[in-house]
Amino acid sequence: MIKFKHIRSRIAFTFLTVVVAIQLAGLLPLKYALSKHADTLAEEQINVGERVFVSLLQHNTQSLKQATQVLAADFAFREAVATNDAETIESALESYQGRIHAQIAYYISNNDNLVIGTTDNEQTLFGANAKEDARQAMLENQSGTLKFDIVAGKPYQLITVPVKAPETIGWIVMGFAVDGRLASQIKQLTHLDVTFVQKMHQRDWQLVSSTSTPELSNLLVKTVADIYRQKLSLHSVDLNGQAYHLKIRSLHETKDDALLVVLQGSVEPFTQDLNTLFKVMILLTFIGVLIFAVLIWYVSRKTTEPIAALVKDADNIAIGDYEKEIQVNSTDEVGHLAKALNSMREAVLQRSLRIQRLAFNDELTGLSNRLAFNQGVHQAIMTHADSKQKLSVILINIHRFKPINQTLGRDFGDDLLRHVGQVLKQNVLGEQDMVARLDADEFAVLLQQTDQAKATRYADKIQQVFERPVSVQGQAIDVRTGIGIALYPDHGLDEESLLNHAETALQESRAKKSPWIVYNTALEIDQSETLTLISDLKEAIQHDQLLLYIQPKIDVTTRRALGGEALIRWVHPEKGMIFPDQFIPFAEQTGVISDLTNWMLLRACQVLASFKKQGLHITLAVNLSTRDLNNMELPTQIGHLLSSHGLDAKSLKLEITEGSLMQDPERAELVVKKLAAMGLHLSIDDFGTGYSSLAYLRQLPVQELKIDRSFVMFMDKNSGDASIVKSTIDLAHNLGLIVVAEGIENEFVLNQLARLGCNEGQGYFIGKPMPEKDFSVWLERWEGQNEIDIDIGDDLSYAINPLDIDQQPPDPFKLDTLGD
Amino acid sequence: MGSAIVRLRWMLVLVWVAMSPSVPAAELTLLVSDANGKPVTDAVVALYDGKTPAVNPNAAGKIVQKNKMFNPKVTIVQTGTSINFPNEDTVRHHVYSFSPAKKFELKLYAGVPTNPVPFEQAGVVTLGCNIHDSMVGYIYVVDTPFFAKTDEKGKAVLKLNDGQYNYQAWLPGQNKPGAEQKITIEGVTEVKITLP
Repeated sequence: MIKFKHIRSRIAFTFLTVVVAIQLAGLLPLKYALSKHADTLAEEQINVGERVFVSLLQHNTQSLKQATQVLAADFAFREAVATNDAETIESALESYQGRIHAQIAYYISNNDNLVIGTTDNEQTLFGANAKEDARQAMLENQSGTLKFDIVAGKPYQLITVPVKAPETIGWIVMGFAVDGRLASQIKQLTHLDVTFVQKMHQRDWQLVSSTSTPELSNLLVKTVADIYRQKLSLHSVDLNGQAYHLKIRSLHETKDDALLVVLQGSVEPFTQDLNTLFKVMILLTFIGVLIFAVLIWYVSRKTTEPIAALVKDADNIAIGDYEKEIQVNSTDEVGHLAKALNSMREAVLQRSLRIQRLAFNDELTGLSNRLAFNQGVHQAIMTHADSKQKLSVILINIHRFKPINQTLGRDFGDDLLRHVGQVLKQNVLGEQDMVARLDADEFAVLLQQTDQAKATRYADKIQQVFERPVSVQGQAIDVRTGIGIALYPDHGLDEESLLNHAETALQESRAKKSPWIVYNTALEIDQSETLTLISDLKEAIQHDQLLLYIQPKIDVTTRRALGGEALIRWVHPEKGMIFPDQFIPFAEQTGVISDLTNWMLLRACQVLASFKKQGLHITLAVNLSTRDLNNMELPTQIGHLLSSHGLDAKSLKLEITEGSLMQDPERAELVVKKLAAMGLHLSIDDFGTGYSSLAYLRQLPVQELKIDRSFVMFMDKNSGDASIVKSTIDLAHNLGLIVVAEGIENEFVLNQLARLGCNEGQGYFIGKPMPEKDFSVWLERWEGQNEIDIDIGDDLSYAINPLDIDQQPPDPFKLDTLGD
Repeated sequence: MGSAIVRLRWMLVLVWVAMSPSVPAAELTLLVSDANGKPVTDAVVALYDGKTPAVNPNAAGKIVQKNKMFNPKVTIVQTGTSINFPNEDTVRHHVYSFSPAKKFELKLYAGVPTNPVPFEQAGVVTLGCNIHDSMVGYIYVVDTPFFAKTDEKGKAVLKLNDGQYNYQAWLPGQNKPGAEQKITIEGVTEVKITLP
């Protein structure tokens, strides 16, 4: 298969091939038919010629015969004949011969073999013995057929007429020479060349006369011999590339002699005409093909042009030029294609725009995202590089956004973020300035051509805006922000360092609760400290730099000490005491928290064991993190610890935050249920800050609920907080849970809680977290202050839900049932 | 022709053959047919006994031309007979003969020519008309009294004496009579002659 670069070439090739094939299919048979026709015409001509020739001879014969008959009927001649007047007969023949242009004339008498001729050679004519034959021939001639004979080596047409007186008494024979005159006479009528050839006495054929060229007539003489032998009447010869049709007719034929006439017609005149016709046909074909080619070229061009245009358009789309609309000019298939391309272009354009938006925009606020901001800063740096102008990168973070999101709902949080974004945007200094949301509650602002003074002025303005409560979804909410500022080129020469330094400043701003902080190198030390802490922490676990602190817990009503919450402290060899706030979040992020928990559990068990030795039957509560709750091995590990230290499951309490449960609820629930089944006391920590519903908690095997300190601390001053605490206590009690209050900072609150029916409490009023060795001291002092018998050892009620005491049937988590 | 014996053959020579003394009142029936056995009309048969000459030497006869025909077409006369050629047609005729037995010419005439034409010499005289080529007539001049012409059945009856005869048969259109044949006639004799 031929490959074409263009469709139009294929169309043109295909159609032209068909056209040429059709023309050839027509021309070849035409050529054949024409040559056949020429042959037929030539043959026809020769046949016609032959008929003409025959009829001419017959006519000649007839007229000669009539002329001869005139002589034969002449009375005087008959008298001369009857009286055998030879001289008279001869002279009469002579004069008649001249009159009718006969070459020979003689009289043959009927009975006495008398022959009188105008020539002297009648003996040679018929020979001595040939007279009878001659008469016989004469008689045969009476039938009217043509009679030719060779007389004295020359061919003659012989006309024989009887002489009647009144019966036939003799014959007049007139001979007309077969010569060039006759040949040309025939040619004149038939338009055929005529050649006479004869043969005598077994000799070769010889030419008598011919109207054609000597060359052809000589050839004919040679050919005739063969043709005659084969008894063919029709034949053709080629001479010098020309075909001649031959018609051969025998005029006279005896054993020895023969006279033939050859009519020859050239095919050429016919083929000439037909060849001309054929040439015209070829010319017409050529012109036709030419016209067709032009038409095909034009039509296929017209057809493929729009396609080529579309290909160009498609190429444009391929290189990313979606903007130019594709022209749809027709309603045919190409038009449909153009339309389809157009809608494709539209779709690609939309998608590209969307991708761009997704790549560079923050969906929620419609502001730029981190990527776009980075690019923006990068570009700004490029444009500012040569000038002495400065750039400001400002990071803004919303304080306590997570709790807001958790308590007021994600929708609210989203609206708040949008609002903050708007505020930031409304306060920018110039059109080139850029506002972006980088993270959940972190925004970034790029201020062009801004020095530190301008940047801090902007930060102040933001702070001022947020000094008033912000109205979101019809609710007024206080928004506190932290702001970190970094300047180009002072604090960094690229966008990455600028952003990092702004982040550092922001962290500082948050930590120090200052409205904004401009980056300075001093901040950098704290930052790196945090990082080293994490690596140090692992070492701390191994090298026993950690301490177990205990914050005491009492029965709110009886004020009896019940035990405490086990807390961790890190005594860094260089930095001294480090509080959990500073490393627990990192530990949680890095997974070190598991090691910490293990350490805590081990230490708690050791402490409990040592107290048990001293006869103090107290409980210790250990906090579990999210990771711990997802650790399926934890129950087994705890079981080992308890048994190795000879402890009751009741002496160890486990505190879980709502959040830690929510991370992987199914897994956590599994672990929690296992722990509960082991008889461990489970407590929900920081209740009220998370999303979890009481209904959900009810499904878990927990026995205790700790109200977050934020509700308790100011409940003596804030009646709202007090009522929250009250209703929480009521609800928990209704669910059969022990309620523990955190953050009791004065006696008034303690009493208030006792009135509300709260079961247990902890807080600075009761006791700050303290090293284990101080706990027994505190215990003694607390018992003394509150006039309580130190009789903890025998009292097992610490592990029993006081609400359940009178309940029937017994709580499934009760001690006596847990033994099974 | 079983009894016919060919003895001699002469061309155009009449021979008297010696015959036994004849007994009159014999009757000869001749049946002439052609080669195909078809009866020939107007065939002439002449018998010669070699001693009886022609009778009525100056008898006259006539051949009428009517409807552009010689009537009768075949006439047998004995030598010395004169024949007139009365023209009964409305057209004129030019009667001629180039026959060696008698050459004559009656130039264009109507009615009865003044002089009859005498025929002295035995032989066949072919009559023609120079104007009407189709007119052919024959006069058979014989020098014997025994001759007959066949009717349409090819039959002719002749009364003559018993005896030895030579005979010749002749068909109109033939230039020469047939060869002489010998025949013996006794009483009622029937002879079948086949002409070539």
